[in-house]
Amino acid sequence: MTSAALGASPAAKGGAAALGRALRHVGFLPALLIVLIVLLVLFEPRFMGMFNVFNVLRNSSALMIVASGQMLVLVVGGFDLSVGAVIALTSVVTAKVMAVMLEASPDEIPMAIAAGIAAGMACGFITGLINGACVALLRISPFMVTLGTSSIATGVALLLTNGIPVYGMPDTFVKDFGRAIWFGLPMPVYVSLFILVLVWVMQRQTTVGRYIHAIGGNVQAAMVSGVNTNFYLILAYTLCGMLASLTSLLLTARLGSGQATMSGNLMLESIAAGVIAGVSLRGGVGRVEMVALSALFLSILTNAMNLLKINSKIQTIFMGVIVVAAVALDQLAKRRTRDARES
Amino acid sequence: MSEPAARAAGVGTGRAVAGFMARYGLIVALVVMEAGFAIVEPLVLSPGNLLNIVQQTSYIAVFATAQMVVILTRGFDLSLGTCVSTVSVAAALVMTGMVAANPANLPLALVMGVLTALGIGIAVGLFNGICISVLRVNAFVTTLGSFNICFGIATTISDGRPVFDVPKEFSELMYSGTILGVPAPVVIAIVVLIGIHLMLNWTVFGRSLCLIGGNPRAAALAGLPSRRYLTMAYVVCSVLAAIGALMLTARTGSGEPNLGGNVTLQSIAAAVIGGVSLRGGVGSAYAAALGALFVTALSNGMGLARIDGYIQQIILGCVIIAAIFVDRLRSGVR
Repeated sequence: MTSAALGASPAAKGGAAALGRALRHVGFLPALLIVLIVLLVLFEPRFMGMFNVFNVLRNSSALMIVASGQMLVLVVGGFDLSVGAVIALTSVVTAKVMAVMLEASPDEIPMAIAAGIAAGMACGFITGLINGACVALLRISPFMVTLGTSSIATGVALLLTNGIPVYGMPDTFVKDFGRAIWFGLPMPVYVSLFILVLVWVMQRQTTVGRYIHAIGGNVQAAMVSGVNTNFYLILAYTLCGMLASLTSLLLTARLGSGQATMSGNLMLESIAAGVIAGVSLRGGVGRVEMVALSALFLSILTNAMNLLKINSKIQTIFMGVIVVAAVALDQLAKRRTRDARES
Repeated sequence: MSEPAARAAGVGTGRAVAGFMARYGLIVALVVMEAGFAIVEPLVLSPGNLLNIVQQTSYIAVFATAQMVVILTRGFDLSLGTCVSTVSVAAALVMTGMVAANPANLPLALVMGVLTALGIGIAVGLFNGICISVLRVNAFVTTLGSFNICFGIATTISDGRPVFDVPKEFSELMYSGTILGVPAPVVIAIVVLIGIHLMLNWTVFGRSLCLIGGNPRAAALAGLPSRRYLTMAYVVCSVLAAIGALMLTARTGSGEPNLGGNVTLQSIAAAVIGGVSLRGGVGSAYAAALGALFVTALSNGMGLARIDGYIQQIILGCVIIAAIFVDRLRSGVR
């Protein structure tokens, strides 16, 4: 919403041309988001209920974190199909480690929590490292690598649990962390805001961010300019894996059990969020603030369809249409800008 | 022999071995793998099981061939699996509905069922193809969208339940029947493979697909109607998926909204393992069939060797990565 406000102020001064330029800069997403929210507030009183707002915020924060990781990989011109599997694996491993540690020494609760979190984050780190190494060093197509690691990670998660949820995590982890409300908002909201700011700063203010964009834009050029492309490619995949693990920790803490089937649609949704936000699948283009907006948009849209009691099967149809339409519109807009520039 | 000559000969054999492995490596791997499984479980090589493998392969081969046609153009089709589900449910509904309305006119019901399937295949293919070639939406996003759309349609029209009472004659026609002693699914798969082989090698459209995938700019400069051909490639893919869906429906004897669950990933994996390059431009019906055979033999052998299902999944993941790595080496050899 902030970017819409930013876009609107020069537009008022500069007239129609500036408005057009501003719209092209921020895209139609913020406008769409505002329209959606206004319609919901006007016509669906339950939308503004505290319970519902919390729900939407929780869901969107999980999606925002995964999607910003996915964005980093998309920006370097890749894909990560394994985020869903990483979420599942992290959830299972975290719960298992905590339960085992707690059983061994019931008094060492902080120790158990720390070990569980470390083990969970390690899952994302290792998977990301393998993905990145295969893509960067062995030059294997990201689609296939992450398809393979996704199959492996899901297999390991199911093998560890036999598909049965893992219980026995410390109560404090669930009550004081997973389901905590800080200053009137659910805890994941703060975590996701923190991550968004971190990624934004990295993208905009650091050489790491600039190199990652340079690699996605043109690997050859980046390499010739002396960028250690392999390192930054691996870094992007590793960060993506770790952000997926972080999401999983939040979800696991909320649920109170480790589940091998937890990821649901998050993998596809994270890519959809990136694509709707205008992240180019050819690499080099992507802004984390737009990704956050589109994650919020998708979450609110799903929530709206639930509130309107739209059949879940029809919801999937609708989601499919929205994703394709968003990208098609974006492509059309880009083509028009290019034509205008050329003429 | 002088030393340089000997060295040259050494390099020559090295290259020859690499070339041989690049061309026949998968067959060697297949034979080694089957031999390994046979040591653990001799039943693997029994005639009954070998026939079983061939029958199973025929389904995956059709799907892998479908996928190969679009991978050639540097795309892929994620919607293949849910397209299969939609076709299965819709064809079953049409057939059972028509038989219920007029039991006497069975042949018409079967024909209408098949036509419905092909119609849905064409519609899905046109949607994918037009979004990708005309609207220039990325193949991943487009087929992700149609994946969702098809899933929604399949579960909506079937209400999430299997459609039972598909006419027995349909199953006889496409599953249990034989032609000259060869099971019907195998016959269909062979016809599809030969058809696609001829299309890729003997028609302008087929030969253009390799160029469009291998070098889109060159294809455009050569004046090929790239958009039309690209759309047609997706139509061919979805129509083949529809044919495969009919085969699976005949096997289960019911229209299943979850029929296509693993088909998408399996078909991509089979095609790529067979040597179809995701970078576009390289692929053949032979490669798709070989990849399908390998994937089927692997899961068949792991099943008979009583390997845990979850470990099977891990092994499949490793095989996919290994296959891609080999593909990478192979392109280095060329």
